[in-house]
Amino acid sequence: MIEDAQLIDHPTLAENGIVAEGVTRSFGDVWAVRGMDLVVPYGQVTALVGPNGAGKTTLMLMLATLLTPTAGRLRIAGVDPAVDPVAVRRVTGWMPDTLGMYDQLKVHEYLEFFAEAHRLSKADKARAVPELLNTVRLYEYGKAPVHVLSRGQKQRLALARALIHRPRVLLLDEPASGLDPRSRIELRDLLRRLAADGAAILVSSHILSELAEMADRAVFVSAGQVVASREMTELAAVGADQLIAWRIRARDPKALESALVERGLSGGAVTPAGFELPPMTEDQASDLLAEVVGAGVRVLAFGPVGTPLESAYLALTEERR
Amino acid sequence: MTTSPRAIRLVAGHEFRMRLRTGRWKWLLGGWTLIMLMFTWFLSVSLSNTRDVTYYYGGGTTVQDNSSIGPQMFGILMLFVLGLMLIISPTLTSQSVNGDRERGTLATLQVTLLSPTDIAIGKLLAGWSVGLLALALSVPFVVWSLIEGGVGVLNAVVTLSVVAVLIGVICAVAQALSALVTRSISSGLLSYLVTAALTIGTLITYFLALSMTTEDKDVKVGGDSYGMERISHPEDVWWLLSPNPFVVLADSAPALPPLHADDGRIISRSDDPLGGIRRSVRDMTRPERVGPCASPGDVYGGTFGNPVYPPCQDDKEPPPVWPWGLGFDVLLGLGAVTVTVRRLRTPATRLGRGVRVA
Repeated sequence: MIEDAQLIDHPTLAENGIVAEGVTRSFGDVWAVRGMDLVVPYGQVTALVGPNGAGKTTLMLMLATLLTPTAGRLRIAGVDPAVDPVAVRRVTGWMPDTLGMYDQLKVHEYLEFFAEAHRLSKADKARAVPELLNTVRLYEYGKAPVHVLSRGQKQRLALARALIHRPRVLLLDEPASGLDPRSRIELRDLLRRLAADGAAILVSSHILSELAEMADRAVFVSAGQVVASREMTELAAVGADQLIAWRIRARDPKALESALVERGLSGGAVTPAGFELPPMTEDQASDLLAEVVGAGVRVLAFGPVGTPLESAYLALTEERR
Repeated sequence: MTTSPRAIRLVAGHEFRMRLRTGRWKWLLGGWTLIMLMFTWFLSVSLSNTRDVTYYYGGGTTVQDNSSIGPQMFGILMLFVLGLMLIISPTLTSQSVNGDRERGTLATLQVTLLSPTDIAIGKLLAGWSVGLLALALSVPFVVWSLIEGGVGVLNAVVTLSVVAVLIGVICAVAQALSALVTRSISSGLLSYLVTAALTIGTLITYFLALSMTTEDKDVKVGGDSYGMERISHPEDVWWLLSPNPFVVLADSAPALPPLHADDGRIISRSDDPLGGIRRSVRDMTRPERVGPCASPGDVYGGTFGNPVYPPCQDDKEPPPVWPWGLGFDVLLGLGAVTVTVRRLRTPATRLGRGVRVA
C-alpha cells in the first residue's frame, strides 16, 4: 500500500519492528514477491493474509535474513538485514511453516541447543528453557524425545524455539496450522501477551478465522503484492453498503428453499449449516429475513458467512480477478 | 562473519550426539571391528605359513628368511584400513547440508548467531570424528602387527595420522558436494565418484599419460649409437599419481631398516608392501635409464677400451612424493570447506536449482 511507503527515511522507523519498501524477490523467471510495502509496528500483531503462492513465505524468509531481496529496502528493528544480518538475528524470532526438528533430541535438549546457538548465558538458558516449556505447555514432555510429539506439540515447540532469545520482532509462518482449538486459543493469548510487552509480531496464515481473533491489523497479499492493509476494528465494522455473503438455516429446509426460490435466490451452496446466499448489504439482508420469516418459514439461524476478515479477503481478491 | 571455537564445538557436539543416536552405530562399529579382527587374523596366519621361503640373490647366495611377519602384516593391514575408510568416509558427510535442508533443520540453524563457518566446520568435525572413531577401533589390530616385530611405533603413528587426514579430506569434499547438490542421493553418488577419481582415476590417468610420453630414442653410449630404445617419461607425469591416497600413505610411511645378507650386503626387502609402493612411486620422479649400465659386480665395463657404463643403481635416493600428494589432498579439503561455507552464507542471493530455504 502506498500509505505505508517512504517510512524508512521517516522518524516512525523507531515505532516499527519491520518496515519493507518495494521489496521484490525473483527465483529465476518466477517473481514470488513483486514490490511489497509493509509495516509491522511494535506492540501489535499484524496478520499477513493471502492465498497459497501469494509470496507470504518468501517475504518471511527475507525478513528472517535467509534471502536477499532482489530489489527494495528492508529494515528489521531499524537494521538492514543485508548489511548486518547478525544484528537482525539477535532480535528476531522466526518460526517456519515447515516442521524441521531434530527428532533424536529430547525436548529440553532441543531448546537448550538453540539457547546456546543464540549465545544465551548459562543462567539465562537454565531459566528460559523451563519457562518456555511451561508457556507452550510442554513441561511434562521435557525429557521426552522430540519424535514422540504430535504435530501440534511440535508446532508449539517450534514456537518456543523462536522465542528462546526473547526477540522483539517475531515472524510466525502459519503458526496455527495443526493446532487443536485449545492450543490455538493459547497461541492467541500468548501472542497478545507478547504484543502487549512491546513485540512486533507478523503472523502469516490463510486460515482467516484464527487471525481474526489475534491480529490488530491485516495486510492482504495476492500474487506477490500487498493489495490492502486494514485495521481489524475497521474490518469488524461492516459498512452499511458493503456486500457480504450470508447464510440462512431453517427447521424445514424445503419450505425455506421454496421461499428463497420465490425471491429468485436459488442456486447457492447448501451445507449442513444452511443455504448460502449471494452478497448483500446489511439492509438487504434484514429485509430478506423479515420477508422469509413473514412467509412462515421457521428460521433458526441467519448471519454473515465467515468473519469480517474473510469477507474482506474475498472481496479484495474478487476485485483483482 | 565471526566464528568462535565455542560455537564450532557446539555445532560439532550437537551433530555428533545426533549421529550417535541415529542409525545402528553400535552394529556398524561392531561389524567393523569384526571385519578387522577376521582380516588381521587370517593375514597373520597366512603370512606365517609363507614364511619358510628362501631368498636368492646375485652370486648364488641364499638367505633363509627368518624375519618377522610384522612389516608385511603392518603394510597390508594399513592398506586395508585405508581402503575401508575410503569406502566409509563419503557417507559420513555426503548428506550433511542437503539432508538438513530436506528435513528443514538447516534454516533454523542459520537464523541463530551461528556463522556459516561455525556450521560448516562443526558439521565436518562431527562426521570426521565418526570416521576417526572407526579408525581408532583398528588401532588394536595395528598394535598386533607391531607386536609381531619389525615395525616401529613411529611408523604406525605416521601412517595412522595420514589415514586420519585423508578421512578428513574425503569428508570435507563429500560435505561440499552436499552443499552444492540439492538431492542427497546425488551428492552421495558424486562423493563416491570423487573418491574413485582419487584412487582409481589417478592410476588410470597416470598410465594413460605415461603412454603418451613414449618415444623411440637413439641411445648413444660415448658418442656411438647403441641402438633404438622405446622409452617413456614418468618424470613428466608422476605427479598425476601423487594425490592417490594409497600412494600418499605408502610414501609417507618411514622406511624400514634395510635387510642385510650374511656378507653384509643390503638386499631389497620384498616383505614390505608400503616400501614397495614407495620405491616404485619415487622411481617415477626420475628419467628411465636408457642404454647399458654397470652393476657393482660387473667387470667388463671399461676393461676392453669400451666406454665406462654408468652405474645401474643411482646412489642418490629419489625425493619423496607424498608431500605433493598430501599437500594437494589437504588443499582439496580446504577448498571444499570454503565452498561449503560460501553455500551456507545467508542472506542468500542465489539458490541452487530446486533448493527450498525452509
